[in-house]
Amino acid sequence: MRSILREALHTLFRNKLGLAGFSILLAFSLMAVLADVLASYDPYEVVGPPYSPPSDKFPLGTNDIGQDIFSEFVYGSRVSLYVGLTAPLIASVLGTLLGLASGYLGGLVDEFVVGAVDVMLALPSLPLIVVLAAYLGPSLNNIILILAFFGWSGFARVVRAQVLSLRERPYVEAARAVGASGPRIMFKHILPHVIPLIMANIVLGATSAILTEAGLSFLGLGDPTVKSWGQILRRAQAGHALDQGLWLWVFVPGLGIALLGTGFTLLGMAIEERVNPRLRFTRR
Amino acid sequence: MKTFLARRALTSLVTFIAIITIVFILARATGDPLTELENDPRISPATIAAIKAAFGLDKPLHQQYLSYLANLLRGDFGYSLHYKEPVARVITQRLPYTLALLVPSITLSNYLAYVIGIEVGWRRGSRLDSVFMSVSMFIRSTPYFWLAIVFLYVFSVVLGVTPLFGAVTPGRRFEWSLDWLLDYLWHYALPFTVLTFRGFLAELIYVRNVTVDILGEDFVTTAVARGLPERYVKRRYVARNAMLPIVTVLGMRYAFIIDGAILTETVFSYPGTGRLVYEAIFNRDFWLLQGAVVILAASVIIVNLVIDLLYAYLDPRVRYR
Repeated sequence: MRSILREALHTLFRNKLGLAGFSILLAFSLMAVLADVLASYDPYEVVGPPYSPPSDKFPLGTNDIGQDIFSEFVYGSRVSLYVGLTAPLIASVLGTLLGLASGYLGGLVDEFVVGAVDVMLALPSLPLIVVLAAYLGPSLNNIILILAFFGWSGFARVVRAQVLSLRERPYVEAARAVGASGPRIMFKHILPHVIPLIMANIVLGATSAILTEAGLSFLGLGDPTVKSWGQILRRAQAGHALDQGLWLWVFVPGLGIALLGTGFTLLGMAIEERVNPRLRFTRR
Repeated sequence: MKTFLARRALTSLVTFIAIITIVFILARATGDPLTELENDPRISPATIAAIKAAFGLDKPLHQQYLSYLANLLRGDFGYSLHYKEPVARVITQRLPYTLALLVPSITLSNYLAYVIGIEVGWRRGSRLDSVFMSVSMFIRSTPYFWLAIVFLYVFSVVLGVTPLFGAVTPGRRFEWSLDWLLDYLWHYALPFTVLTFRGFLAELIYVRNVTVDILGEDFVTTAVARGLPERYVKRRYVARNAMLPIVTVLGMRYAFIIDGAILTETVFSYPGTGRLVYEAIFNRDFWLLQGAVVILAASVIIVNLVIDLLYAYLDPRVRYR
């Protein structure tokens, strides 16, 4: 564990872009943790007249029913981080188990998993996600489960490919020769080598999970009781924010999504570079 | 090559059957297609029963499934309760708008990403590389609809040079005239620019990474060591080998046209299939939604198949495996 941590820090400080990504994520995490301190109001409370322009009291103005937009934005970081981390995490557990089983056991299990992955990759995901979200009803956890359901196939494919190459390595053969059981080889000898790659993919998957949640919220299929950045944008659009001259109402939440996504992408690529050294920036 | 073709066609067929089955199960498990009618007090229960009988909804599930398959084979996608027209006709009316917007946009952005991505990858580690990488990562993290709103605000509200919504001026009917075409292009400019801009920058990073990966190959080092001119190495050794992975990834964008279309067309109130899917959900227009998803799935599979064939054409190793 200690060496993993040291390795992670080492990776981070040698890669400027990765460090930038880490800083962005740290800033947003602080915002989420310190939301009670940073935000001056309860985001659900009506604290001023509707459509107030930005002022000292309301840095970004108020929305169509008089809630403080800056407080909404600050608390929204919690939702985005929650969606961005849980959805790919669930997908990775599912995908890793299937990928391990498929790559190690082979045979019928492999055929089935590969077939399922092929079907998943050919599915038009957004229309189906939209259909599922519309039928299952608007709840944040439903959306996370849907995202996880559409995200596992990528993990399964990556893990399977890794397992196929690892299982032929001499050390795995040696483990088998001394009588290690199948599950033991899979989890003790193969899984640890795949984990860095899985981590890179979780971090990279966060961006698309956040974007999809925002898109669904914008289409009116998100959870209206949770104030995510996507929900703020939907409200802004429905409340004709731009006609009211409140362009910050639209601009800031979108920028938040883009910056958070950039942070995740930068960090994910830094990890990926570490795992796959050929991608490393070579300074000529 | 023949066995490769046959195997690929078979997988595609199985995938398609799996998808239409999932759509069928999803649709039947989650909603009653006649909700809209049942909630309408003007329609009597007897009429509803008659409609159910007419559409075969009173039959057991397995029979419904079989007739669903048979109808699909005949190109019959059902009947849109909202538009009071066959689903196939509703979709074919809207499809040209989506295709005319997205196919050129994807083609142009793919081309730009390919050409510029190789240049940026070639200059890996330079300032140009860092700038493009950062911009690309930022843009690919922006929500589609947000970028569209920002463009709409700047160009239509602040500058007032482009229209606010629609594919043509409201009330205008299609005709073969220069006037209509100009009006169409005027409405076309902004959604096209947003889609192309975002698509190009979002894919750039991928092409760049593939290029950097290839630059690490021994054959590139050898070519450079042999003293071949830089342009020649870039074109014949790097660009050519980068083509394989790029065809797969950039090609797939054609299959997922609809993902971008749903959000962009909603922001611009553009009358394409993306907006149709969106409206179908809110109108609970059950068969329309089902038909649209099946047609979209079919297009994804066909594009996939074409890409695989292209791949086999570009890389003989796939053919003779």
